[in-house]
Amino acid sequence: MNRNVILAIVGVLGAAFFIAVMLSFGNDPHAVPFMLEGKPAPAFSMKRLDADGTVNLADLKGKPVVLNFWATWCGPCAQEHPVLEWAAKKYGNDAVFIGVVFEDTEEATKKFLAQRGSSFQQLYDPQSTMAVDYGVTGVPETYFIDRNHVIVSKYAAPINMSTFDKHIAQILK
Amino acid sequence: MNLGLILLAAGLVTGQYAPQRQGTDPLDAEREARVHRLGKGLRCPMCQGQSIADSPAPAARAQLDKVRELVAAGRSDAEVESYFVDRYGEWALLKPKPQGSNLLLWLLPGMLLLAGLWIILTQVKRAPTPGAPSVSPPKADDDYLAQVRNDVDR
Repeated sequence: MNRNVILAIVGVLGAAFFIAVMLSFGNDPHAVPFMLEGKPAPAFSMKRLDADGTVNLADLKGKPVVLNFWATWCGPCAQEHPVLEWAAKKYGNDAVFIGVVFEDTEEATKKFLAQRGSSFQQLYDPQSTMAVDYGVTGVPETYFIDRNHVIVSKYAAPINMSTFDKHIAQILK
Repeated sequence: MNLGLILLAAGLVTGQYAPQRQGTDPLDAEREARVHRLGKGLRCPMCQGQSIADSPAPAARAQLDKVRELVAAGRSDAEVESYFVDRYGEWALLKPKPQGSNLLLWLLPGMLLLAGLWIILTQVKRAPTPGAPSVSPPKADDDYLAQVRNDVDR
């Protein structure tokens, strides 16, 4: 093979490698992609922790839903809790607020809610099946689901008031 | 003691850790082996770089339970993988599929290695033989050199 052709191929490969490296700059290598944005929210039917009965997503047809995955052993979740209490009081008539307890005990959760307040329903997901269905990568994570039950966005960190306002505005349209 | 260990100790003292749970009941030996083989190929989202079959994290156990549930329901390997890819993208696979832009990842290292080998081999072929003069002898009719020799001999 002609020496120049081979050098050209090496040059193209080197340039492709360089571009691939450059494109990866600025990306967090630990960030886990979230693929359910814009997709239908997975169905669930979970036992309520704060009352009798179960909650089915299908029963909430036509209503926007805010889902928050959390745990009592998670420090950032405790930090976020007052924001969710505030949001449930502010937007509780416009959207359904649901907390989902992730990898925790019923006893610890009930104690936490009794001490810190519980303005919205809480579900118990003992084997984390619902969390896996939703692609949860850690807690806290808050999902914003519109009235057609499409996942509009997910916030994977302790949410603050202004961020909450921005996200919920998208599902109240 | 580093900061990580101090934080870990503080977390354990204050109860900031997830309670450990048992996974779901194992299937028969053949299907359970499949569950673990599939789990070895899926990345744990809470413990970077480890598979869900190897990680002790609660999220990994929950995902392995899901693999078990899907296998028990008769899903194929491809269907189990696509369940996780649908949620976490190709990131979920510890070994990305050799298709699309992933092909670059699979082919580029080998091609660069071959190109490097080719460059080395061509350079080795062109190397001078040992003992041969590295500089060509001066031409006899080099007037300047002749003048220098005359001046030195004087």
